Amino acid sequence: MNMDVTVASLPRLNEKYSMFSRISDDIGTADFKFLFSAKDNLTSKDMETRCGSRILEGYRPAFDATAIEKMRISGGKLIGKNNMDEFGFGTFSTNSAFGIPRNPFDPERSCGGSSGGSACAAAVIEDHVSLGVSTGGSICCPASFCGVYGLAPTYGRVSRYGLIDYGNSLDKIGLISSDPGRLSEFLPVISGKDRKDPTSCAQPDLNLTGKKIKTVAVPREALEGVSGDVLSAFESSLETLRGMDIDVKMMDMPFLRYAMPAYYILATSEASTNLARYVGMRYGRQDGDLTLKFDDYFTSFRSEYFGDEAKRRILLGTYTRMAGFRDRYYAKALKVRLHIISSYKKVFEDHDAVLTPTMPFVAPRFDDISEMTPVESYSADYLTVPPNLAGMPHLSVPCGYDAEGMPVGMQFVTDHWDEDPLLTFAKDWGCAFETRRAEVLL
Amino acid sequence: MDRETVERVAKTAHLALSEDELDRYSRDLGEILDYFRILDESPEGDGFGVDPVEIADVMREDVPGIFIDPYELLKDMKTYDNYVRGPKLL
Repeated sequence: MNMDVTVASLPRLNEKYSMFSRISDDIGTADFKFLFSAKDNLTSKDMETRCGSRILEGYRPAFDATAIEKMRISGGKLIGKNNMDEFGFGTFSTNSAFGIPRNPFDPERSCGGSSGGSACAAAVIEDHVSLGVSTGGSICCPASFCGVYGLAPTYGRVSRYGLIDYGNSLDKIGLISSDPGRLSEFLPVISGKDRKDPTSCAQPDLNLTGKKIKTVAVPREALEGVSGDVLSAFESSLETLRGMDIDVKMMDMPFLRYAMPAYYILATSEASTNLARYVGMRYGRQDGDLTLKFDDYFTSFRSEYFGDEAKRRILLGTYTRMAGFRDRYYAKALKVRLHIISSYKKVFEDHDAVLTPTMPFVAPRFDDISEMTPVESYSADYLTVPPNLAGMPHLSVPCGYDAEGMPVGMQFVTDHWDEDPLLTFAKDWGCAFETRRAEVLL
Repeated sequence: MDRETVERVAKTAHLALSEDELDRYSRDLGEILDYFRILDESPEGDGFGVDPVEIADVMREDVPGIFIDPYELLKDMKTYDNYVRGPKLL
């Protein structure tokens, strides 16, 4: 790979695909071993960090996120910050204030979200790895739509220091690449205990020993509502798995249906408190009228610069935490999360992984997305939300293409801290399945 | 969710909503809360899953130190005499 050529082509690539909200001004690649990009909710001290939001315009962090710092120490050059849904609020990356990433297989379709720019960069740029962040499926969804590999590790495996919070108990930093070997190469780089993030300090060591997946459980519930093209590609992949000596069993997992509402209650509750800090002081835009009264200044600023979906989630999360509603929604969701974790663990007593399609349909067209109601849009996440709510590691791999050539993905979930078999499988699958690269025309 | 409730929630969250926004969010949040009703029939775990995995309490030594240069943090903030500037309290 000629890194200089790659870096020189970034502005033109970005004009076509909008995968970056910022590209590095420094185009020198000498002294670097590899190029990487990072979702724009990870702080970078040499590049503006805006989380897809106008309210953070002008924010130049004084420190690198731990994951970015570790990639730089390993010889990586950060070439750009990946475009994303505002603060991670979305499934299609259409909620960004800085352009919408376009799918490399069909620019009239979504890259998925919310790490849409990260998956797009991984699909378009040769030999590339990008850092994504998953709260409810934001790594596996775009990886599936863009036909690349995506890994969201166990909650707490990668330090969240420098990650701008969406939902503190849900956010996980992971990797996206067209090369499955890159996931095994870079997970050890970005993971590990970090005193700056106590949630990373209880993790056992990451030992990559080549452990294999031998048995998978496929929940029958997951296949209800999946489109014909996705189902066909998925069933064909099950045959390939059997040919790889993996035992595939169909099972009932009724607990999965409760994950969606529990997730959206917890995620928006946490988001509504996290976003309380954006008031036109300290970070990002600070050009409001300081002669206004305290509350009026904050209110005018937030009303002007938060986008539509951010407001919707703030309202929802504020409501579910309010006195009188807290027990019904927030406390209930916390109890349901425990039920879902223990139900998963029962499945893992007899199976190495749970397997489903990653998304119920291929990347939708922007016209169709604009017609979706919020509930329809949230429902698209019903396969990726359960492992995220449970903090369990999950992997999306490309597993087929529909009649129009759009990629289909399948998702493996393993028990807490058990990333090893996911990474082994990704490499084995890379040899068994012929992945198509999108044709990049400039 | 009725408009009055949306208005009350918005005030708590420091958001001023237009008439159109009040109508839209009232409808959207109503549909979302209807969808959440399925949760009422869910079995529960024994306790509250505040975190999905066990979390360690790690505290640093109680020794003063500068981790990030405060002047570096202030460089993009509106300041007056090294204090962050904000709107009037009274």
